[in-house]
Amino acid sequence: MRLGMVIDLDRCIGCRSCAVACKSHNAQPPGTWWNRVFTPGASFHQAAVGKDGALQMESLPVSCQMCDNPACQKVCPSGATYTDEQGVVLIDYERCIGCRYCIAACPYGVRQYNWEDPKKAKERVGYEKGYEYGYPEDFRDKDGRLVFTPNRPVGVVEKCTFCAQYTSQGEEPACVRGCPGKVRIFGDLDDPNSEVSKLIKKRQPIRLKEELGTSPKVFYLAPAKPIR
Amino acid sequence: MKKSNLLLGLAGVLILISLIAWGYQINKGLIVTNMRNPFSWGLYIATFAFFVGVAAGGLIISSSVYLFNIEKLKPFTRIASLSAFASILGAGAMIFPDMGRVDRVWNIFVYPNFKSPLVWDVVVISAYLLITFLSVYVQLLPDWKKEGRGFLNGWTKSHPQEYVEAFSKKWSKRVALVGLPVAILIHTVTALIFATQESRGWWNTAVLPPDFVSVAIASGTALVLVIALLAVGKDQFEQYKEAFQRMALIVAGSLVVHFFFVAVDLLIHGWWGSPEGKEVLSLIFSHYGFLYGTELLLPAFTMVFFLTKKGKNSFNALIIGSLLLFIGVFAHRLMLMYPAFNSIPLTLAIPGAGIESWAYPVAIGQLQEGVPVFVSSWAYMPSLVEYAVALLPFGLLLFVVTLALRMYNFVPQK
Repeated sequence: MRLGMVIDLDRCIGCRSCAVACKSHNAQPPGTWWNRVFTPGASFHQAAVGKDGALQMESLPVSCQMCDNPACQKVCPSGATYTDEQGVVLIDYERCIGCRYCIAACPYGVRQYNWEDPKKAKERVGYEKGYEYGYPEDFRDKDGRLVFTPNRPVGVVEKCTFCAQYTSQGEEPACVRGCPGKVRIFGDLDDPNSEVSKLIKKRQPIRLKEELGTSPKVFYLAPAKPIR
Repeated sequence: MKKSNLLLGLAGVLILISLIAWGYQINKGLIVTNMRNPFSWGLYIATFAFFVGVAAGGLIISSSVYLFNIEKLKPFTRIASLSAFASILGAGAMIFPDMGRVDRVWNIFVYPNFKSPLVWDVVVISAYLLITFLSVYVQLLPDWKKEGRGFLNGWTKSHPQEYVEAFSKKWSKRVALVGLPVAILIHTVTALIFATQESRGWWNTAVLPPDFVSVAIASGTALVLVIALLAVGKDQFEQYKEAFQRMALIVAGSLVVHFFFVAVDLLIHGWWGSPEGKEVLSLIFSHYGFLYGTELLLPAFTMVFFLTKKGKNSFNALIIGSLLLFIGVFAHRLMLMYPAFNSIPLTLAIPGAGIESWAYPVAIGQLQEGVPVFVSSWAYMPSLVEYAVALLPFGLLLFVVTLALRMYNFVPQK
């Protein structure tokens, strides 16, 4: 099983529901976003770009690209970042030493650091007292490695896990379920009959920064609005 | 004696300030630095790289005595080894405050990932620390035996003085020759931490490791030169003049090689004319032009100065040239970070809008009034806490060198 995702940009309206669902379900501290949506070319989201009066406005969601050749994993000195048997790149929050080499290595800017204790950050920003959001329990992989905890330890790196706490129970990641446009399709890239495999075969997908040889498992279907 | 007390006091104050600041940082988290997700390495890693660089001097000087038979440098092999030991100690110490979880650093030894250049850097830096320590130790053994002091030398009691002298001579040479490749490796592997990263165009070049070696030979030799000058003093300058001139020549020569690498590197970054290449050039020449100018002009001045009669013939000129070089090399280390982090790897072309390169914004990792959460560049300036913490290696170097020079004789009289 190799878990992967197809993102159909033709359907994306840039509503950022995925980013919000991701943030809430995964209890991300203030200022940390595992999942981002931006309008390519624009200095702020939902601003059209163009020239000669021809404007365009697409949206591009970016989270961990789940590379088959992950630079972040290779640079990690303590093996805290690893790929599980389903091809998902995960971080062991109990082993990360906080050197941030992976943040420098990742070409996609998806890795985020806990610059301060998340509890203190929430308090300082003024989140309502006692308001706890996100999956409430720790989640450990089958080897007992801590890959999700509602309040991350200070000084470790975090990023998208494909919602390991849900996918391990056969459920889909929060961004897939939370998308009103059904933009995201999640499944097994090894199964030729899965929807993701079929779409990848049918619609020439693109992968971000493919020239770096990272072999991401997140595939984008280019917006192909029929003009001619 | 009084001067050394003052210097030791100063070193103690520097170490104390940095430890207090580090304690504060451990308590609050790295939020007290001005690093954020888009700019995740800063002053600490730059300072670390600087100290790795100046640690080169020791074994370059000692091994050139044996390899190329430069007898004139022989009086300074002890100082050279001491300067290398103190520098690499400082470099090693600087790494720890950069770790968000310094309490878990042992994980590198329990679960090492040998694909990571960082693991190899830990290996070679530890080896260099041991080798430079041994180098100082074996060179001091005969003196210790004669004076009946020292440490870890109980075994020499049962041997005659001549045996210890011969032992010291034989092993000084052996340690220097084994140490030379390790000295080259600490710069190579430290450079490879950066150079292997294809996502950062500014680092991802094969010229970075050899350039690190050339800068290290220049700045490391300059540090030995400065310590040697201060140790012998102005009065004895004439006596050792030829040795100092030889060191100045090594500094200038390796700077010539460095500037050759710089020129080739700039040409390769610029020639193709890609948006990434243009962005890097605009960052170094315009946005960070002052820092880059410091990096280029000060060492260039030292290079030329040390080749002139005026530059290499006086005590003051050699000190000034070396100090300017240190400032330039420190700027060089900072400039490893600025163009690398402020050129965001995930850039896209939007042909329909006539845009060749658009950087996908990165979340900074903090929610703060007046600061955007998503940015395409981060105007990094070290915070006061960072400056304070970064005093650690300076304090350690000053402390170790001053204490050692005060306790033992590092300039053997003929």
